[in-house]
Amino acid sequence: MKIEKIFFTGFLIISLIDVLTSCKKDTPLTPEPNTEYVPTPYTIQIPKGYWPTQLNIPANNPMTVEGVELGRYLFYDGRLCGKTNDTLMSCGTCHQQAHSFENGIGYAHGVTGIQTPHVMLPFINLVFNNSGYLWNGKVEHNNPAYNTPTTYGGNIEDLCWMSVVAPHEFHSDTNHAREAIKNIAIYPPMFEKAFGSKEITFKKISMAIAQFIRTLISSDSKFDKSLRGEAQLTSSELNGYDIFMTEKGDCFHCHGTILFTTNLFYNNAKDTTFLDPRDRYHVTYNPVDIGAYKAPTLRNIALTGPYMHDGRFATLDAVINFYNEGLIWSPYVSPFMTHLNQGGDQLIQSDKDDLRAFLLTLTDSTFIHNPAFSKPADLP
Amino acid sequence: MKNRPHLFIVILLFTFIFFSCHKEKPIDPTPITTIDHGHIVFKFAHYVDNQPAIWDSMMYINAALNHYMVTNVQYFISNITLHKSDGSSKLITSKSIYYIDSDIPSTLTWSVSDEIPIGSYNSISFTFGIDSVHNISNIFVNPPEDGMFWPEPMGGGYHMMKLNGKYIDTASVVCNFNTHIGKGRVIVGSDTTMVNNSFTASLPSSSFTLTKDATKEIEIIMNIDSWYKTPNVYDHNVYGGSIMNNQTAMGMLVQNGFDVFTIGYIH
Repeated sequence: MKIEKIFFTGFLIISLIDVLTSCKKDTPLTPEPNTEYVPTPYTIQIPKGYWPTQLNIPANNPMTVEGVELGRYLFYDGRLCGKTNDTLMSCGTCHQQAHSFENGIGYAHGVTGIQTPHVMLPFINLVFNNSGYLWNGKVEHNNPAYNTPTTYGGNIEDLCWMSVVAPHEFHSDTNHAREAIKNIAIYPPMFEKAFGSKEITFKKISMAIAQFIRTLISSDSKFDKSLRGEAQLTSSELNGYDIFMTEKGDCFHCHGTILFTTNLFYNNAKDTTFLDPRDRYHVTYNPVDIGAYKAPTLRNIALTGPYMHDGRFATLDAVINFYNEGLIWSPYVSPFMTHLNQGGDQLIQSDKDDLRAFLLTLTDSTFIHNPAFSKPADLP
Repeated sequence: MKNRPHLFIVILLFTFIFFSCHKEKPIDPTPITTIDHGHIVFKFAHYVDNQPAIWDSMMYINAALNHYMVTNVQYFISNITLHKSDGSSKLITSKSIYYIDSDIPSTLTWSVSDEIPIGSYNSISFTFGIDSVHNISNIFVNPPEDGMFWPEPMGGGYHMMKLNGKYIDTASVVCNFNTHIGKGRVIVGSDTTMVNNSFTASLPSSSFTLTKDATKEIEIIMNIDSWYKTPNVYDHNVYGGSIMNNQTAMGMLVQNGFDVFTIGYIH
């Protein structure tokens, strides 16, 4: 009897377990409770309107609220350069919010005084860029140089280590940078929240900074507001828009789309000789790319002078005049420069003024004052 | 007798086990008649003067005797339809608008995911560009297609094609040209009419037989020189580099488009 009961009870228990688990495959798995590492997913808010939905976020660095916040601290922490207190330099030293995250003065100088080879590109809307980073686009996911055991896949994460080691930037090394951050008390807990461990590696530093940079979305200019029906462009601005968006000014082929850049590369008729080892040609080795550089976004263009890869034009007026009458013929000029043989657009002065007026509508004051993008108050 | 309650519980339990997931079982689908099918892969090639285009080389002479070179070409085709001799047809629906870019090799091969009914097809046709019903601004928000936008001040929608290159003008100077086709504006008196400038391309020699589970690879060639040849001799010196506001020029190109596309091979 006892054996029968034992068998029966066993059978009953097994059957009950079976019943309770028979539908397990159809119920969501409950993750193991982990009170120590529960990061909050950060969702990029795609602006209203017709913005790209394709985001350049590497699968191995998902965005989290904690990662973004850590990245903001690291972005602005001058101790990251691994130098002593009198020569602190952070990403934010040059990539300034007030200037759409570039420096607004042209060439920058690294921590040891060496000048950058190009002026800066603004750090805005980079999460929408899938065509390589920097003026020549060499930091790209399919560039083998950035898919090695010591690189991070050709994305913003790579820009971080490149800044640390570049002589014209931090002129340091990633070990120094990591050690400097390790020794700051606020960071181990922040790394734990962001990545699940207090261990600090340079890769994690890069991942966090990249997460922060991906949040820098500028989409609230007067032009944006006009698209949303919240503002009205003046007749001058509207005429400038028409010039921009027709072959009269022919700006849109390279600076079109809602991003005001195709993120592609063009020789825009500035020169006749091309000796820069950092142009697009030195990435593709296709002669059509000689003297070609990324078309920068025109969003916040009023804040990001001087202009061109070498900062040769100090003002927007100088740029407009260049495209109007200063184009220089060479065999490498992009076919999109259809006014090349007339020297430029040949706009009358009032049209040039209107074009500038339209470009000024691309300034986003909300963005440059957004506290979420600013230096944390408790950083030195 | 003593065990009867137990037996009852066991039976009940078994019943419960067997029916516990009943609600999650799929409802038996209504039997449908299966149609045997195969697949199609389109390959896109770009020729000048019956040879694969050599980009960025000033080696071609068009019908107007302009020396010219081509840098790249980007365009849409849509409404791709396979026609059978019995009058029936198969419209490709898995991707109704397809983008081709000579600078992006991945766009030059299109493995169509539609299941194509087997049988003998005698022709292929498509809309060059995007037809007027679907040529609406902002249907593409991501690259590369979004870069084909046709600005609102010129009617909105998308470029049907950007064919970019250079030519030597009458003063022997190398000039740029953008053979860009999109919405054109015809102004007669006070009336303005928009012309979409898409057209139907019917490919000659495009018959093939598709057997069950087979894949046919079909090469579609754009003969770039044909844009400038028949019936209108198109002279870059006359129309210049920019034609987006010139419906006369775009209209000529559309007329010339009827024989631009041919079949390279089907196998």
